[in-house]
Amino acid sequence: MKKKNNIIKMEVPNKGMVGRTLSLMVVFGIVAFIVLVLQLYKVQIRDHELYESNAVEQQVRDTTISANRGAIYDRNMNTLAISATVSTVYISPAELIMYEEEDMRVMISSRLSEILGVDYDSIESKWLDTKSWYKTVAVKIESELADQVRDFKNEYDLKSVHIVPDTKRYYPNGSLASQIIGFVGVDNTGLEGIEAVYDKYLQGTSGRIVRVANEKGVDLPYSGYENYYDASDGDSLVLTVDDRVQHYLEKNLAQAIEDYQVQDGAMGIVMDVKTGAVLGMSSLPNYDLNNYLEVNEDTLSKLAEQGLSEGEYNDAVYDALLKQWRNRIISDSYEPGSTFKIITLAMGLEEGVVSENDSFYCDGTVMVKGRAEPIHCWSRDGHGEQTLAEAAQHSCNPAFVNIALAVGAERFYDYIEAFGFFGSTGIDLYGEGSSIWWTEDVFEDRTNHSQLAAAAFGQTFTITPLQLITAVSAVANGGYLMEPYVVSKVIDSEGNVVENHEPTVLRQVISEETSKRACAILETVVGSPGGTGKNAYVAGYRVAGKTGTSTDTITEAETGKKEYMVSFVGFAPADDPEVAVLVILDNPGGESGIYASGGVMAAPVVGNIMYDVLPYLGVEPDLGIDGESGIYEIKVPNVKTYDVAEAKATMENLGFKVKVVGNGSEVTDQAPHANVSIAPNSTVVIYAGEAKPDKIVKVETLNGMSYRQAKAVLEQDGLFIRSMGVPPSDALTIVVASQSISPGSEVAYGTVIQVTLIDNDSSIMEGAG
Amino acid sequence: MASEYDFPKNYGKGNGETAKENNLRDYSESRFINRGRIDLPFLVLTVLILTVGVIMVFSASFARSYYETGNAAGVFLRQLIFAVGGVALMMVASRVKPKTIRRYSRLLMIVSVGLLALVLIIGVIGGGSRRWINLGFTTFQPSEITKLAVILYFASMACRYKDDMKTWKYGIIPFGFWLGIIVVLLGLEPHFSAIIIICLVGGIMMYAGGSNIKHLALIVIAGGALLLLVLLTGGYTSERIAAWRDPMAEKLGDGWQIVQSLYAVGSGGLLGLGLGQSIQKHMYLPEEHNDYIFAIVCEELGFVGAVLILLLFALLIIRGYWLALHTRDRYSSLIVIGIMTLLAIQVFLNVAVVTNLIPSTGISLPFFSYGGTALLMQMAEMGIVLGVSRNIDDK
Repeated sequence: MKKKNNIIKMEVPNKGMVGRTLSLMVVFGIVAFIVLVLQLYKVQIRDHELYESNAVEQQVRDTTISANRGAIYDRNMNTLAISATVSTVYISPAELIMYEEEDMRVMISSRLSEILGVDYDSIESKWLDTKSWYKTVAVKIESELADQVRDFKNEYDLKSVHIVPDTKRYYPNGSLASQIIGFVGVDNTGLEGIEAVYDKYLQGTSGRIVRVANEKGVDLPYSGYENYYDASDGDSLVLTVDDRVQHYLEKNLAQAIEDYQVQDGAMGIVMDVKTGAVLGMSSLPNYDLNNYLEVNEDTLSKLAEQGLSEGEYNDAVYDALLKQWRNRIISDSYEPGSTFKIITLAMGLEEGVVSENDSFYCDGTVMVKGRAEPIHCWSRDGHGEQTLAEAAQHSCNPAFVNIALAVGAERFYDYIEAFGFFGSTGIDLYGEGSSIWWTEDVFEDRTNHSQLAAAAFGQTFTITPLQLITAVSAVANGGYLMEPYVVSKVIDSEGNVVENHEPTVLRQVISEETSKRACAILETVVGSPGGTGKNAYVAGYRVAGKTGTSTDTITEAETGKKEYMVSFVGFAPADDPEVAVLVILDNPGGESGIYASGGVMAAPVVGNIMYDVLPYLGVEPDLGIDGESGIYEIKVPNVKTYDVAEAKATMENLGFKVKVVGNGSEVTDQAPHANVSIAPNSTVVIYAGEAKPDKIVKVETLNGMSYRQAKAVLEQDGLFIRSMGVPPSDALTIVVASQSISPGSEVAYGTVIQVTLIDNDSSIMEGAG
Repeated sequence: MASEYDFPKNYGKGNGETAKENNLRDYSESRFINRGRIDLPFLVLTVLILTVGVIMVFSASFARSYYETGNAAGVFLRQLIFAVGGVALMMVASRVKPKTIRRYSRLLMIVSVGLLALVLIIGVIGGGSRRWINLGFTTFQPSEITKLAVILYFASMACRYKDDMKTWKYGIIPFGFWLGIIVVLLGLEPHFSAIIIICLVGGIMMYAGGSNIKHLALIVIAGGALLLLVLLTGGYTSERIAAWRDPMAEKLGDGWQIVQSLYAVGSGGLLGLGLGQSIQKHMYLPEEHNDYIFAIVCEELGFVGAVLILLLFALLIIRGYWLALHTRDRYSSLIVIGIMTLLAIQVFLNVAVVTNLIPSTGISLPFFSYGGTALLMQMAEMGIVLGVSRNIDDK
């Protein structure tokens, strides 16, 4: 071929080329496209759903909007727990690299550190994880701080600093009822107490923001793919607990710990006898719900004194933390001791094997089949001849052994079961402890009655305090074993009642008549002069109850050390019981000078609780029961501006002695102030023209003094006395166990000091052992 | 033998006499300027595809442009400028006589091979290979020029040796010589997809130009065996094949791109999410405005839209072959065949990769994929086809 030819001569396609071109046209213009369309059909139509769902899964980001957690109220709708909106601040190192200027990092760190009070270095170290999109800087911060961070973020248009809403739980009463209420974790899930049990009600339903995001998780620009699902707020709870009752309970337990040098804590419960509703329940030391990871300060200082190594100290602190979270009333199984005699008494009466007219002789011991050694009464000398009521007053072991033997092991065992001592009580709280009992065949061994005999006075088994008070309430309320509960109502965010907890009768264990007879006998334990429970006396109220003093068998088994648990369970009014109170003091110290016994130590605590609680709950005092001699305090009237003679007469008519200071004819001032209550034969001072001395007085130590001594000491200082507990008398065994204002405190002249009197007579008080 | 190369009397619709006269008249009018009417269907189809392509570049690119530069329209505007320039270039190219092209085809071939050698020395490295030459304002791949050079020069050789194409000496060896050089140079970059395309296009040129079918079949078998060997032993490529066979298993590794592409294509369904509504383009799918733009097309326009676009391509290609069948000039016919085959191969390979019909190769979609120089090349090629169409009367 020559180039020249190319220019002048046409080269035309030929037949062969036409065929080849047509074949190419078919292959590349038709077949190739059919193949592609088929493949597209496969991916887009046939497998569409598979790919779409996978794509959606990676594209869609779910953001949870947390629902407001429901509140917790006491039975009068006082707030015990409530949630508030707070913020969590986090930084995104990945976005720092993507969006921010290089020199911004240090500035952001220092400003955040400044605003949030977080260590600068710790923030700086968080930026190092450059792949991360989420590094938390501060959780649950208040809205003022969050606003400051937001302003800072907006000022520099920061993309790497984020503020997200969160909720925080507040407990306005701090440690009050801490073990009942419990707490929530950082994720707002209930971890303890009511917060945990009723979590699903309180939680509510979280809302969601479903949005489509790019591969980095950032919202798509110019797109409207976003769906909101509203959160529905959690339900609120109304408890059976009364914050005042709870406060009285905790106050008195704390006082007892101080007065009796209680080493291992005190616990108590106040129950509505008729319904099983828990009005108050506490185990001290408890904890501040708002700082639930902090150990009680007293506990810490006690631990610090023990000279432990660092490791031991840390372990001890951790144990203390767990213990203070623990609701010992429901969780800790213990040997009840003589308080259990209430149950033995009830079953004896119900079975008709004993009656009020029976007499029991106690020479200090009792022999039972299958046991070589005699069983001792706590009183080595014995109680001699006694009626059933006296046996209860004396807490006489041989008498109760005989009652149990008369009931018989089989029936006794059945009653234990019927009173609910084998299973859980069904309370709506987690962590109920289980009781430990002899197995049925051992207990009912016809050749060996020692198990039965010991059970009669509450030994060789363990039960939970909750089981005991529930059973005692059954004895007191006409025989109905109730299911204890702490939540009375569930209400939604609009206040509508979602669930109402009606009292649940599990079964009737004893007859109403037996119940009345048992109440009458138990009333004498407190009300009679020789009763071991006399320290639970509350003026104007008919208190019934039973003392208990027992060895802490679990500590003894673990350490060999003999430590005592002293307790008292009481209820009032005895003729129509409404409130039952159980108090247990774990390991009271011997150095308080007060005899370690349920009757001496625990009974007055119960009495004081009754004294606070009964009037508050509107239980009318029955002044008839004590007559004139039953009045141990009188309210001082206002006599200011009265004529001196008239004022003097008014005071004297009430039973006060009167001292007039000054020569005026009109009363210018008085001591004490009007409307405070003081002991009847106190000397009130009327100022006629002369000014009341404006001085400060130091309160003396009164503990251990007799009533008369204490009154004299106070009056000398220009202070007034008012007594609680056993009736004031000149008997030497009646001593001050507790005073409302601690020794050494400085108070104004004329202040009233309230003392608790107890009968410290070890000869009539069941002691340890 | 000789009769096979005779002019067919009843070729085409018209009669031979008129066609001959027309051709002669064309050539006598001007030495350089190509006159005559342009083929309107081919022009319309080209402009239509280009328009849709540029729109899709905008839709596919704005998300990443926004995230990375803050300017959502950046990529689009650049592509638009090249598209407008491309249309102008196409019109200019349609004025160049095929005769002139043929005259300079050998030079173009030599220059392109020279550039392939040059790129190995001064080329810009990207993605582990040296494929680009930086011109300052833009970069371009010499292999794009090589593709066209192979078509234009192979057509020239096929015309020159038309009587001896059935022989090894003229039908195979001159072509094989150039392909060999090109394959070696591309292999050094390395640029596997360009090798495949150029070999395919070169082979088709030989086939259309009249090379012996038996010889070609032998070479195809030998080449296929060699290809298989390379695929089975080469590390990088065999990983791609593993990702192709089971992309989900390699979802976070080598399979990421193909899995994201399948998510896009698959979630489009029958009617798609709507223009501009792709989610996969939001940083999920790499190269979404480039090699994988068709996945975004599928996601946004659905099966219906994707098939319509493929139909436009098919119509363009069929029209191109139709023009090749109707031109009276052998060289013109061959270059149109080459250009249309190149277009078809690129479209097929690109869409096949995006839908995971074949392993990933890195071939862009003509008129759609972002890339200035590639688009200019494609527009120039269409211009050449249009230039050929000017010499056809019975259209």
